[in-house]
Amino acid sequence: MAEQRRLTGFRRQNGAVGTRNHVAILPVDDLSNAAAEGIASLVPGTLALPHAFGRLQFGEDLELTFRTLIGIGSNPNVAAVVVIGIEPNWTNRIVEGIAKTGKPVEGISIEGRGDLKVVEQAARIAQGYLQEASELQREPVDRSEIMLTTKDGESDTTTGLGSCRITAYLSDKWVEAGGTMIFGETSELTGGEHLIAERCVDDTVRSRFQEFYDGYIEMIEATGANLLGSQPTQGNIAGGLSTIEEKAMGNIVKTGTAPIVGALAPAEAPTRAGLHFMDTSSAAAECVTLMAAAGGVVNLFPTGQGNVIGNPVQPVVKITANPKTAASMADHMDVDCSDMLTRGRSVEEAGDELIDIVERTINGRLTAAESLGHREFTITKLYRSA
Amino acid sequence: MAEQGPSFLAHKSGDAVAVAVRDIKPGNAVVGYLDETPSVDVEVRADVPLGHKVALTDTASGADVIEYGVRTAIATADIVKGDYVHTHNVRSARWQNSVA
Repeated sequence: MAEQRRLTGFRRQNGAVGTRNHVAILPVDDLSNAAAEGIASLVPGTLALPHAFGRLQFGEDLELTFRTLIGIGSNPNVAAVVVIGIEPNWTNRIVEGIAKTGKPVEGISIEGRGDLKVVEQAARIAQGYLQEASELQREPVDRSEIMLTTKDGESDTTTGLGSCRITAYLSDKWVEAGGTMIFGETSELTGGEHLIAERCVDDTVRSRFQEFYDGYIEMIEATGANLLGSQPTQGNIAGGLSTIEEKAMGNIVKTGTAPIVGALAPAEAPTRAGLHFMDTSSAAAECVTLMAAAGGVVNLFPTGQGNVIGNPVQPVVKITANPKTAASMADHMDVDCSDMLTRGRSVEEAGDELIDIVERTINGRLTAAESLGHREFTITKLYRSA
Repeated sequence: MAEQGPSFLAHKSGDAVAVAVRDIKPGNAVVGYLDETPSVDVEVRADVPLGHKVALTDTASGADVIEYGVRTAIATADIVKGDYVHTHNVRSARWQNSVA
């Protein structure tokens, strides 16, 4: 057996391990994006996280936005956070949530001050955080301390034959080593949801999974819309996928064979190691953002037709088994396993190459999406604001 | 190196369709399986682009289409072994509104 690579990461105050060391400038709401971007431009090296929502939300939708923003700030890939909001109340709520991790975090609100004063004051804080973060060192870490997540996008029939099979190979090995893996894409289990339910460790997890699944499908079916072209997407269909069930079976392949130990609400952090389901949209940016908010530090992303997504906090590793995509979109791909289709390369051989790239990514190698500046940060909106 | 191996791959024994691993023209082609099932030949009746499917069995309109060992579609037209299979002759069994 090959010697295992030495893994390194940033061990945070609460013990969680990160693969990146960002200082985040986190707006609470859309109105605060300009100030957040102003701060990041004055202190290059910090990471502004503009997004579209955060005003007049209520109920479950508001709770999800809070959980997402607090989760993103709490992600172990983030060393410190400056929170900017239009008013102090919700701003403090985000700050207090992130502060539970023990990492440096401060919030400033705009009303009564204006953008320019806020930007100056916050930039001074961000500068201090950035210099502190620059002295943090990577430490040796174990697979059991690394929370991985997986999502596929612009799937086609090659994902089920290649890229999802090696993702499963890695996932099984990771879980066996005591690590954590999260998958999601609720509607994209349709036709194989019984296979997921069967793998849940107990009735509590199974009934929670089933509630999430049934709720999502009810929401979709209540619209009465023709979903062909949306789910499966036009890209899926161009790639040869004909139905949601066929797409789902490829999606399910990547979850491997481990028992499912948890069914998580969107952006909910797992409390134990192992393989977890999370109730998410199948839209790439929404799903990967929710998984980052749960604490994921690297995402594995099989793609067929060539989804280009990245995330500002969680590096996204692209894997394709489609030989045309591997050739035409090489700048977006981290792993080309198309020879599994064209030359019969084994799951073990291609899977070991994936593990190699993922471990190098953990250790600091930039993914294709990071190197191209893909930072899609998208909050999942459950319904209209008040 | 020249292209090698089967022209189509199927997931499981008993699957009604297999996926083209390169652009395929009509004529005889080899279908390999990801499980232990021995390869079979199929007489392909139409162009099948990379990633698209060929029928491995005859399927009557309205009958289930099996792939990965489960029902992934319902035939919306009679399908003959060797036919190109996609949204023109299959549909979702689960989402009744999901139609071409």
